[in-house]
Order: sequence, then C-alpha cells, then structure tokens
Amino acid sequence: MAVTVANARRARLPAALGGALRSNVAGLVIGIAVFTLAFALYTSGFTSRINIYSLSRSIGINGVVGLAMMAVLVTGGLNLALGAIGVCSAMVVGWALQALGLGVAPALLLGLIAGAALGAINGLIVVTTRLHSFVVTLATMSIFFGGMVLLSGAQGFNALPPGLTGFGRMRLFGMISPLLIVLLIVGFALFYLYRFTALGREMLAAGANPVAAKLAGLPVERLFVLCHALSGALGAVAGVLASLRNGAIVPSMAGPLGSDWLLPAFLIPVLGGTLLTGGEVSVLGTVLGAVFVEVMTSGLYMLQIGEFWIQTALGLVLLGAILLERARAGMALARGRQS
Amino acid sequence: MSDAFVVVSEASKAFVGVQALDRVNLSVGRGQIHALLGENGAGKSTLIKILTGVHQPDAGEVRLDGRPVRFRNPREAIGAGIGAVHQERNLITRFSIAENITLENPPRRFGMFDAAAAANATAKWLKLLGLELNPGTPVVRLSVAQMQLVEIAKALSLESRFLVLDEPTSSLTPHETRALFTVLRRLAQDGVAILFVSHKLEEVFELCSHVTVLRDGRNACASQPLAGLTRGDIVRLMIGREEAVFAAAPPASLGAAPALELRGVATALGHRDISLAVRGGEILGLYGLVGAGRSELARAVIGAARITGGEVLVQGRRARIRDVTAAVRRFGIGYVSEDRKGEGLILQLSVATNIAAAIWHRLARLLGFLTRRMQDAAATPFVRALDIRTPSLAQRVANLSGGNQQKVSVAKWLAAKSRILIVDEPTVGIDIRSKAFLHELLLRLARDGTAVLLISSDMPELIALADRIAVMKEFQVIDSFDNTRDYAAASARIMQAIHG
Repeated sequence: MAVTVANARRARLPAALGGALRSNVAGLVIGIAVFTLAFALYTSGFTSRINIYSLSRSIGINGVVGLAMMAVLVTGGLNLALGAIGVCSAMVVGWALQALGLGVAPALLLGLIAGAALGAINGLIVVTTRLHSFVVTLATMSIFFGGMVLLSGAQGFNALPPGLTGFGRMRLFGMISPLLIVLLIVGFALFYLYRFTALGREMLAAGANPVAAKLAGLPVERLFVLCHALSGALGAVAGVLASLRNGAIVPSMAGPLGSDWLLPAFLIPVLGGTLLTGGEVSVLGTVLGAVFVEVMTSGLYMLQIGEFWIQTALGLVLLGAILLERARAGMALARGRQS
Repeated sequence: MSDAFVVVSEASKAFVGVQALDRVNLSVGRGQIHALLGENGAGKSTLIKILTGVHQPDAGEVRLDGRPVRFRNPREAIGAGIGAVHQERNLITRFSIAENITLENPPRRFGMFDAAAAANATAKWLKLLGLELNPGTPVVRLSVAQMQLVEIAKALSLESRFLVLDEPTSSLTPHETRALFTVLRRLAQDGVAILFVSHKLEEVFELCSHVTVLRDGRNACASQPLAGLTRGDIVRLMIGREEAVFAAAPPASLGAAPALELRGVATALGHRDISLAVRGGEILGLYGLVGAGRSELARAVIGAARITGGEVLVQGRRARIRDVTAAVRRFGIGYVSEDRKGEGLILQLSVATNIAAAIWHRLARLLGFLTRRMQDAAATPFVRALDIRTPSLAQRVANLSGGNQQKVSVAKWLAAKSRILIVDEPTVGIDIRSKAFLHELLLRLARDGTAVLLISSDMPELIALADRIAVMKEFQVIDSFDNTRDYAAASARIMQAIHG
C-alpha cells in the first residue's frame, strides 16, 4: 500500500497500486532486494546473525533520525539542529539517571520533554522572526550543543542502569535488535498521525501552502511550532537509541555539533519520497529508505571499500534522489497543465 | 483575405489521451484585432502556445506572412516578431520594471547593463499605458494590475508584428482597460496583427473586428467579421446553447442586526474611518479601482492585518478578531481570495482535502481521529450541490478547470457553514457557464441567510448581484447606496463617486 499520505492517488485499489509503483516505495524495495542479493553473494558474512543484528540496530537509529527530519520537512523547512538536540536530550536522560537518581521511565520522559522543548524553541524562532529554518537551526545547533557542553563539562554518563543497557543488548530471535522495534512503533505512530488525525492533516496542509491554509482558518504558526517540537522529541528518541548502542551517553556520539546525523537525516526521508518543499510525507518510504541506506553502507563496508568512498556514494544517492523528485514533480505538473 | 498575416490551417494537437485541438483554422490580417473566444478547456491556450512556440502542432501548419513556420521554442517565435502576454505572470519580481521589460535584449554600455538607457526605453511604454511608475521600481512592490500592465508593456516593447494577448484585462480596472485599448487600436493602425483573448464579451465587442470561437478543441466559427453578430450569437457559439437569463430579485427578509458591521474602522494598512454593514440575506458590493484598499480591508476584517481604531461587530456584538483562525472558527467568517491559485487553494492537495480543511477540527472524533472516509463524506454533498466536475474526490485541485477550482474554494465555506462570506473577485478568468453558476450560487447563499460581501471590479457583475453598493477610493468608503439594479444609473453613480 502506498503510504504517501498527502498523495491524492489512492482512490481505489488499482489506483493505489499504480501510486506505489510510481512512488519511491517500489524502487526502494527493488533496490533493497538487489543490494541484499549482491552483498549476500559477494561478501562473506553479510547474512550472518551478527551482521543482521548490527544492521537492525543501525536501521532502528537512523530510521528514527530520518523520521525526525521528516516531521519538520513537512513544513517546507528543515532542522539542522537535529543531531544537537538528540545529543542534548540523551545527556538530559543521563543526568536525570545519574545526578538526580530518577528511574528509567521518568528519566526517558524528561529526555523526551527536553527534545520537544528544544524543537519548540526552533519553531518559535522560525515563526516569530520569519527567518528560514536553515539559518535558525544552524544557529541553534551551535547554541544547544555549546550550552550542553558548558553545562555538562563535556562529561558523559557511562553508568547506565542495567535495565536500559540490557534492553540495548537484547536480541530477538537471536538476531534482531529491539531498536528496530522502536523504529516500527515510532513509524506506526507517525503513520497514524498523518493519516488518521485532524492534527496530522492540518500539518500537511499548512506545509503544502501556508498562506492558503491560514486563510482556511488553520493555526499555521502553532502547527509549525508543533512540527518542530515533534522533530525535537523524535531527535531525543534517536539520541537515546544511539546511546543504547554505545552503552554510554557521551557528547561526542554524533560528531561535532551532532553533525554526523545530517546526511542520513536528509537522505533517508528524501529517498522515501518526502518532498523538500513541504506538505507531503511518506512514513513507509522513510523506513524503507533507512533499510536501503544501511544495507548499502554495511555491504560496502564488508566489501572493504574505504569510509570516504561510502560517504561519497551516499552523497551521490542523495543528489540522485533529489533530482528524481524534481523530475517527477515536473512530470506531474506537465500532466496537470495539459488537462 | 489577401493581407492575412498569420494563418493557422487544420492544426491539431493531442496530449496524453486528450485531443486539445482538432483541425483548427485561424486567420488574422494585418491591422486586425481578432478575438479568440471559447470556454476554459476549449483549446484557446493550446492554440496560443502553438503560435508562440511553446507547443508544436501534431498536424496542420502555421503560416506567417505567407511562409510556413515551425517554432521549436518561444525564442524562435519572438525572433519571428510574435509577442505574447500569457495568462500566467512571467515577471522576475525582484528585478525592476525596466530590467523586466528589457530582459530579452538588455541595453549595454561598456559590456554592463545600462540602467539609464533601460529606464528611458521603458518610460515610453509605461507612459503609453498610462502607468505613472518609476522604471526603477522593483516589480515585487507593484499591485496585480500594475504587474499585468508591465507585462503588456514588455510585449509591446518587442515591437512585434503579431501580438497575442491572453486575458490581458483580467485584473485591470475600466480606466486602465481603456488606456490599453487606445494603445492596441493605435498599434492596429500601424499594421500590427492582434489576437485578443478575453472572457469579457463587452470588451470583445468594443475592441475587435473579427472573431474565432473554439468549442471542445474545434472551430465553432473561424475568422468571422464581428459586425452582425450579437452577444447571444457569440454565447451560443461558445457553449452550444443560450445563456441563462439572470435576474436577481431583491431580498425578501433581512436579519435584524447586521451580521457584520464596521464602525469607523482604521487599520495598520492605512484605512480610515470605514463604516459598512452587511445583513444576513443580502449582498453588499464593494467597488473600487485597483489599489483602493478593498482586498486589504477584507484582510483586516478576517484578522490577517491589524485594526487600529473603530469597532467591528459580528452578529450585533463587538468582536475582537485576533487572527484568521478566530475569524473562521469563532466568528464564522469565510474569505475567498482573489488569488485563487496562490492563496485560495492548496493546489497539490485533493478536492476533498481543500473542501474539508476548514472543518477537520470539527469532523474529528476522540483524540483527533479522522479518516479519509469521514472527510469524503463531509465533502461529497458540496461537490454534488455545486456540480464540481472532478473525476474523483481524490483528484488534485491543480488539475481542475478554473471554474471548478473556484467552486471548490466556495464549497469550503459552505461546508464550514460560514454566516459571513467575503468573496474577492470571484469570477476573474472563469468561463461563462461557471460564472453564471457562481452568480446564482452567491445569490442563493445570501437569500438563505448568509451575509455576502462581494468585492468585484466587474461592474456588470456587481450591479447584477449586489443589493447595496459601497464605493472605495484611497482606503476610504466614499459612497454607498441601495442598488436598484438599473445598470446605467448605478454605473453612473459609481463613476461619479470615483472620478467626479
């Protein structure tokens, strides 16, 4: 089933099927199948339990990163501070656990609130100053990260409670990380939001054409702040997931200013068919995008291709995906004009 | 016709699954102002795009000055002396008027853009059209009408031998239209062939000597002299039947208190001392030249611009409308924007989404639960009632015709059960059939108890529909009176108010 939520071509089943074939979902499924087959044939150990486990873990983390960016791409804007928010929120969790001595559940809740609050700050600045979110989040990326380093003295938290680290190390069926399950839960929640709630529809409409949405009485500013807050909260989830993989919460886990997340954050939703111009998302596409990217990365590692080549390849895939989106939008426009 | 300058013979063009043009003929002579008419979707735009090199015909040929031509792109058409003003705006808004007008052929001095020469070249054309603007003004600061005039000036400046004008007057006032017509007549005297497309038949009869009508991609008539044809003849050619006779009866009963009343309102946009009242059951027509502040007043009323003085009353009670959301949800005010494609609709989303967007919050159940089926159920009755022609509720609004798009933007407010409806230039660029339908719809809505504020620069429309008329000039209301629907009297009074 096509999950391109704002896409209008889902009237009947054949139409829905046609939509899926035209959309990125079909392409991703084929791509994943081809790469998996190729790596299974030409590398040793791609289908080993340990590799599938590590794949499922990184798909879980980067999938949530992609969804977190998607939540704000809806507005036609972006969130460069996503990595910084993820790290800051994880640090809040660590602080709540170790310094405040809170239990796991309240600590996680506090982290989630911190992420949502930092995201909301981005949203409020964007809405009140009317600056582009690129500039705003470029600034807050440094502010959030710098503030966190100042407050924490760059000291990580490595004495996580056994319940939490145990969850991070769990293996379902001997090879699936629970982090993947977290991604699926988050994915279902977002699918529900965009498909089955008034709020989700309003977010998409506001992103598609803010002026028209405003004249239809939608509280566009409030919706945009909510989109940014949602992005922040999902960033917090990703931050915690990344900490679980590391077994510790450290400020450097997402690179300088959290910038290591940026490439997957854009690559994954765009591959999945989310429009950079706003108003159209694909949750299923984003999840599949994460699978595609991680399968490709992991396989290329196993072929012992250098790290920089892999980064180059991912960059090329991003550019290709954007050009493809452009071409498709252009075709749709031409069709519309002629009728 | 010995001096036929542009001849299209048996031109056909098909797009995926649609025969847009089917063996169409057209012949425009030197010095002739030739009307090209037809409803939306009749094939006018396709024919124009073939003449201007945007499309190439599948069959048939185009002859220019006796020689067959085949333009591969718009540049070649311009090179051959064909100038065009398209319906869509094609200006670079950050550039100045002069930069836009000289865009194809910028004057250079020492290899650099010569702003002074460009300004001089531009000033001549602006003056000709009666535009008192500095050529250095960035286009982004112009009104819609001024942009349209700049676009016309740009086409004129190419000194084309054949000029194609697609709905050039859609956002012009009568005054500006008259200035344009004077220029066009002068050009025709100089031997320029002109193809003029308009939905306003009054203009066609005033300006043109010959007419070609298209219906469903075919010639309903080809290059006939207009003399001897009546308005009724033309309409019959266009729609294949008689135009519905339209006569509005005065309202039977009115609400006691005005649904919307402004008392001495001033706004941050510059309105002063605006007093107006619309009762449920009536249509108040708001007339004014472009730039008189009518749309801006609408914006202030719906909370999109700040009101700095005076009182706004809704249903007799004082109202502080903080933002558009409050206007729509709390006060039941709906606004149909004059910029249908940019502001009125979310083009990339579906028909059902556009109709239901304003009421999602009301449709939703516990925790905001809302399915497509619930939305479709809410939208369906209005698609039926307004006879919106769409293959499905899921169709993107971008793919509908202009008339159907406008019906969608009105349907939104019917669905929201708005008690006050502000409609801004509702029938600009809309085909005759949809226009008549929208007129009847607005009237029926009013008679069913909605208070309608109709902003229109189309004087026949305004006088046919409005129960009362208010005239605005320079952000003030300068006259208001009961409309007896006597066209001569009402139009005279309006012009007296504005120019007297």
